[in-house]
Amino acid sequence: MSVADRLAAPFDGDRPTGLTLLGGAIAAAVLSPLLWILLRVLQVDTSYAASILARPTTVDILLNSLGLVAAVTGASILLGVPLAFLTVRTDLPFRRFWTIAVALPLVIPSYLGAFTFISAFGPSGQLADVLAPLGIGIPTIYGFAGTTLILTLYTYPYVFITTRASLLSFDQQLVEAARSLGTSRWEAFRRVTLPQLLPGIASGALLVALYALSDFGTPSLMRLDVFTRVIYVEYNAFGRETAALLSLQLLAITAVILAIESRVGNETDGAYVGTKSSAESDTTVSLGVWKLPALGFCGSVVTLCLVVPIAILVHWLLRSPNGATRVGQAFQWSFAANSALVSLAAAAVCAVLAVPVAYLAARHRSKLAELIDRATYVGYATPGIVLGLALVFFAVWYEATSDAVSTALLGGAYAPTLYQALPLLIFAYVVRFLPQAVGATRSSVLRVDQSLTEAARSLGHTPVGAFRQVTLPLIAPGVIAGAALVFLTTMKELPATLLLHPTGFETLVTYIWSVRAVGDYGAAAVPALALIVVSAFSMVVILSQE
Amino acid sequence: MDRDGRDTRGRPRLLRGRRDFLKLTGATAGLAALAGCGGDSEESDYNREEPIPEPKTYAESDLFNMEEWRGSGPLIGERPSEYEGVSMLDLPDMRGELTVYLGGGEGGLYVNLLNRIQRTYRDFKTKTRKAPSAQLANTLVEEARAGNSPADVFWAIDAGSVGVVANNDATESLPEAVGRFVPGTFYPSRSWVGVMGRARSVPYNTDEFDAADIPNTVMAMDSDDRFDNMGWAPTYGAFQSFITAMRLIEGESRTREWLNGMQGLGIGAYNNELVVANRVADGELSAGFSNHYYSRLVRQDRPDAPLELAFTQSDPGALINCSATEVIKGTDERILAENLILHLLSVEAQEFLGTRGYEYPLVPSVPPVGDLPAIDELNPPEFDLTRLADVEPTLQLLRDVGVL
Repeated sequence: MSVADRLAAPFDGDRPTGLTLLGGAIAAAVLSPLLWILLRVLQVDTSYAASILARPTTVDILLNSLGLVAAVTGASILLGVPLAFLTVRTDLPFRRFWTIAVALPLVIPSYLGAFTFISAFGPSGQLADVLAPLGIGIPTIYGFAGTTLILTLYTYPYVFITTRASLLSFDQQLVEAARSLGTSRWEAFRRVTLPQLLPGIASGALLVALYALSDFGTPSLMRLDVFTRVIYVEYNAFGRETAALLSLQLLAITAVILAIESRVGNETDGAYVGTKSSAESDTTVSLGVWKLPALGFCGSVVTLCLVVPIAILVHWLLRSPNGATRVGQAFQWSFAANSALVSLAAAAVCAVLAVPVAYLAARHRSKLAELIDRATYVGYATPGIVLGLALVFFAVWYEATSDAVSTALLGGAYAPTLYQALPLLIFAYVVRFLPQAVGATRSSVLRVDQSLTEAARSLGHTPVGAFRQVTLPLIAPGVIAGAALVFLTTMKELPATLLLHPTGFETLVTYIWSVRAVGDYGAAAVPALALIVVSAFSMVVILSQE
Repeated sequence: MDRDGRDTRGRPRLLRGRRDFLKLTGATAGLAALAGCGGDSEESDYNREEPIPEPKTYAESDLFNMEEWRGSGPLIGERPSEYEGVSMLDLPDMRGELTVYLGGGEGGLYVNLLNRIQRTYRDFKTKTRKAPSAQLANTLVEEARAGNSPADVFWAIDAGSVGVVANNDATESLPEAVGRFVPGTFYPSRSWVGVMGRARSVPYNTDEFDAADIPNTVMAMDSDDRFDNMGWAPTYGAFQSFITAMRLIEGESRTREWLNGMQGLGIGAYNNELVVANRVADGELSAGFSNHYYSRLVRQDRPDAPLELAFTQSDPGALINCSATEVIKGTDERILAENLILHLLSVEAQEFLGTRGYEYPLVPSVPPVGDLPAIDELNPPEFDLTRLADVEPTLQLLRDVGVL
């Protein structure tokens, strides 16, 4: 037994102490910013905080937030599941094209989507003006319905991607077996197909729900009063402690959502994971007369999500502003390189950290494993501004004390600088986006037949060897897809980036932010299009792993 | 420093030569200008006793390559032939590196100015950090508590943000003579000084109202049902500053009444004031409350939009807020930081910002662009801008009445 195997021994077997410790350490690390939020809360002026909670609009805002989460999640399922079905299980023409096209909206930041939609469909919008003479009136884009629409259009691909993965790995012979045993078509769907698809749908829906809960930009542009606005107002009015308190409230809602998803996930305990993917079985559903409506459905989704915003961006780019005296800071392609650099780093770190957490959750089902898995989702639901300031709070404290501590212990100032340095920024991205990598990796681990690993062990492979030679190659597509998902969401991330970036380090989104604030849309168009193109590559990576 | 161009440490004054070079190559008028003002204006750098120059009157050609600092475009209109203030040529040279936190930053315009100044000095560098101004203020307060801020200078687009940092004991006091550059309102304490003015205003749709329809105080609008289709942006810092001013000028109960009155008239809440100005131009709103330059930005994009701007008189709606700057406590470069701030207040920098954006230059002799009224034609209320940092009671009030 090599040293590596001896070290790794506790990671395998029935009581994976080492793996549990590792997973626990990762969960603790991504939860650690919560500690700084809690420390902040202890400093809060309770009577002031009470006045916020007791204000007349509290109930409305809470209902708006919960309603938005429910509506966006529901609508994303209604959009994502049929699209997944159409692109996997039917003879839809140009399936490859539609697969990529309907997944692509994920690369567009939802606030950018909201912005271009208002510009197109808002009062006196470009498209509203074109459609009005044709007698087509557009209902107001603002409010609950508009916010639900935008958030759904830019988050449903989570459900699409996860459902698609479930469908691809779903063994169609199971349905045939059930049918041959005399169950009705509906019964077979309910008892065989649904339990197989549910975990995939649920894991995508969870990401959608938590995104809808924690997003600030879209509801604010769409004029819907939601919970995050209260937090945002406090931070922008210097109420750091109160904002921290309010974000705890948000995290409590997150915990409830996580618990709900857990119940759905648990229903799959008895699910049998097929070994034969549907790609191999010849059970493609023929659309027949539904071919055209199906194409129309895919086409309209793509038009709304992609064609409209990109057309508006190109319009901004080509429009020459009148009497422009303003000369904003010029765009540089190095901003795109910076974005790609930090996003790649975040994706790589997430991929590495996701493997032990996902492996533990998939292979060693226990309360603790589940808790560790769920813990990684908390950061995803923490608004970027809350996380960013928590890390500022931590890092300034660290910078103030680290040199003294290191001098006392090690005899020299060896402590690395964290504040406004790239590692801390990348850590923030990991905290926010790790669950995306964990989710994708976990479902790929579930799909690996455990007997393969056992066979490798019985043939004399060490645990590490078996993992490296058998399991890892099998789960690699899931790990890569998860990393690519982290990459594209990191490309879009704004609030934590603004707070934690190294001084002078400009990215695509920080540049878009700075020119958009003064209405310089023409200048925002190039980086926005660059963001979409670069992220689109990662979407191709995700889909090619299937 | 002696008069043949060596500083106190005996090194040759490269910077001085660089400046003259720029001035000579800038324009044909350069030679005459050099003869007019060169040679006698340079003082030693970073000497605490060095007097900050007195403002004086400059012919345009005596300034430092004015046409390079000035923006271009049809909206700029006529510029003066004489300016009163301090030219960058008369300010101490700069050498060294500063970290500047930029709150907001006007779409990179402020960064551009800092870059432009760096090109003037061979050995001067700035590192800039851009983020929303309140977030940087929060960050600076955290840093100050730990006693280790990397920032030397904070320059934010609202007085409230620099005020919060100052109130948290995170600033160094500025020299008294900074007060020579701008009117006293914009140098209310020694902790920060205004750079560019941002006036509150009432943008209105000219299909709905004439200029005479807009009352000369916003306090008359809450009970006037002609204003039943207005918009505001309550989450926006400048709006909150406006309400803070109203609370402190008119009292809390009158402010509450005003807010309730406007809500009773059905005022709509928008994400920011650029949106408000755009919706007024669209006719979706008949009027709104916003900072003055948002309407100029809309006009820049849509010159034919039926959008005009009204300024009320000596009421909270006539508040002139400002972008402002301060030196952060614990900096190693305090004198250099002060010198940078003086540069921001030079005639050249004010012309740069005033003709490339739509903010009000705070040096009174530098006029705003286009058809904006001069800053001394505006009639702001008597109000101490340091009080804008007192925003928590404002938020509480806005929440009480259901605006936030």
